[in-house]
Amino acid sequence: MKEQLQQFLTGRIWLREHTPFPCEAIDAHIESGHIHLKPGIQTDEDQAFFGQLKKYVCNRCHNTTQHLFHTFHCARCNKNCTYCRHCIRMGRVSSCSELLLWNKEHVSYANDHEFAWNGQLTPLQQKASEELLTSVEQNKSHLLQAVCGAGKTELLFPSIFQCLKQGKRVCVAAPRTDVILELFPRFQKVFPKTTIHALYGGAPDQEGFAELILATTHQLYRFEQAFDVVFVDEADAFPYYADETLQRAVKKAAKQDAAIHYVTATPTKTLQTTNQSILSRRYHGHDLPVPRFDSLWGYARQLNKGKVPIKLQQWIEEKTNTSTPFLVFLPTIEMLENFPGDLPRVHAEHPDRKELVMKLREKKIPGLLTTTILERGITIENVHVAVVGAEQKIFTSSALIQISGRVGRSFQYPTGDIVFFHHGISREMDKAQAAIEGWNRS
Amino acid sequence: MNCLICGTAFQPTPTWRLLFVYEKESSTCSRCYSKFTKSDATIEFNDFQGTVYEGAVDAITALYSYNEAMKSYLHQYKFLQDVALAQVFAKTLHEAFEGKEGSVVPIPMHPEKLVKRTFAQVDELLNSAGIPFQHMLAKTATSEQGKKTRKERLEASPLFEVTARIEARNYILFDDIYTTGATIHHAAKLLKDAGATRVDAITLIKG
Ligand SMILES: [Zn+2]
Ligand SMILES: [Zn+2]
Ligand SMILES: [Zn+2]
Repeated sequence: MKEQLQQFLTGRIWLREHTPFPCEAIDAHIESGHIHLKPGIQTDEDQAFFGQLKKYVCNRCHNTTQHLFHTFHCARCNKNCTYCRHCIRMGRVSSCSELLLWNKEHVSYANDHEFAWNGQLTPLQQKASEELLTSVEQNKSHLLQAVCGAGKTELLFPSIFQCLKQGKRVCVAAPRTDVILELFPRFQKVFPKTTIHALYGGAPDQEGFAELILATTHQLYRFEQAFDVVFVDEADAFPYYADETLQRAVKKAAKQDAAIHYVTATPTKTLQTTNQSILSRRYHGHDLPVPRFDSLWGYARQLNKGKVPIKLQQWIEEKTNTSTPFLVFLPTIEMLENFPGDLPRVHAEHPDRKELVMKLREKKIPGLLTTTILERGITIENVHVAVVGAEQKIFTSSALIQISGRVGRSFQYPTGDIVFFHHGISREMDKAQAAIEGWNRS
Repeated sequence: MNCLICGTAFQPTPTWRLLFVYEKESSTCSRCYSKFTKSDATIEFNDFQGTVYEGAVDAITALYSYNEAMKSYLHQYKFLQDVALAQVFAKTLHEAFEGKEGSVVPIPMHPEKLVKRTFAQVDELLNSAGIPFQHMLAKTATSEQGKKTRKERLEASPLFEVTARIEARNYILFDDIYTTGATIHHAAKLLKDAGATRVDAITLIKG
């Protein structure tokens, strides 16, 4: 039992009610000092101008946004009890909950890892990969800026293998579950002897001690001082760049002196690293498709009246008639839900997102309407893309770059149409276009 | 103000009523709230005619119907124990009880289950709507209603016992969800047998 507890709890900060172990075993290890307890919510009393002001901190997700705490009269502790709404989907953490941490000697890592990859890197990939490896060996943070479709996952393999060989515990984190699900089988193939766990909301229980963890950044709320090295993939993806608690979660999950490396297509200003590499070519060597701008004046009004603007209608018809799979990105869920006609549509709350994307790949449906949820992580051969309302705030330059990056990813179809339909050109649209043109020149 | 369900910031629409009468501000944005379906339906319960429960309840009203949005609401409120969500229906509940005569009696939870869940979801709905209530029943059986057939539920020994003095007055039972009706009828019969003049029932949802 001790071994299992140790394997499970090492590096974790875990809600007591949610452990898959018998209560007595936990108690015994608290008694022996192997498990350390932390209260779920910490209350700081601030001396404010008018008397005392309570300030809550969630000890799991480190949330400090006060409106995301709720206080109620609790029947378990029989007093006023406060819980964190921010991380509630992982099991509620309240004032009377206990968080478990493994206190004693950590698991010693097994050292036989195998590197079963015989793919070929292009010279550009090779160079970036070596630069990253150097930073990893020197434990210096590294930013790998790679255009969409550059083949960036392969670049990480040598660095990760190097760390594993040295007995380090490695984490590859990404903001979105879709990305983790895509990475998991690839990593399993490349590191066949390594225990790898994939952690995301709704993931099954996985046994043993994982030397390599692939996790959504959300899941890192449940780790503390766990990793010797962390790679954050898709660091420009929502919600990571916009959610400070996720950025803190990554730092909290890493050991004090561990370097954190980032992989991204569009670095945000907040990403500060010691070293960096740029990979501005796609693996197939072709230029990135450059978005074209086309005006669609008053599209919102027309769509509101149940009419598809004529240019957009023609675009959709042309793609349908030539059996070219297409994606139409819309700025809001309302616009998506109210879009006239019966084209299939997906958004974040949509349960069969994966099935619909699959159908599009298999050409069982002509195209898909989507919100920014499909901006990254998906590859559909020969897909053409239209953005409606590209001037709207939700379409940041990084979102627009990602969306454009869906086009022309395969060897067979390295080009394709990417059009920004707009009601006036925004700076973000210009920025996205300029960035893509810049990469093509370099 | 941030929507309790989706978290986005929104402007609650001010109403003139707010100035004069007690009215709860909405705690959810209009997009989230619009996904619930109001029913305000009077529930038919002819199926209890000819049983010992005939005449136990005088009228039953359900405020919302059960749909996807309600399903995920209940999941977050009851299963994830997000007590704050009790506020979502505060306004509707307040209006539903406005002008109704009778003491409000919530359907109780078993004490053991209450400690486990840490809050009584039925009571919290009333609390957040500012509706005064009094517990007059206590749950005796721990077994889950949901796992039984309707027949089994009706034939089961009483689910509750009366814990306060019932007078010859009106009472309004309140529960979160109406499914087979067994719970409400069991409770109503106890109140009637103990001397209640009239027993109505309001539930948040018609399952
Ligand atoms: Zn939290
Ligand atoms: Zn408590
Ligand atoms: Zn909302």
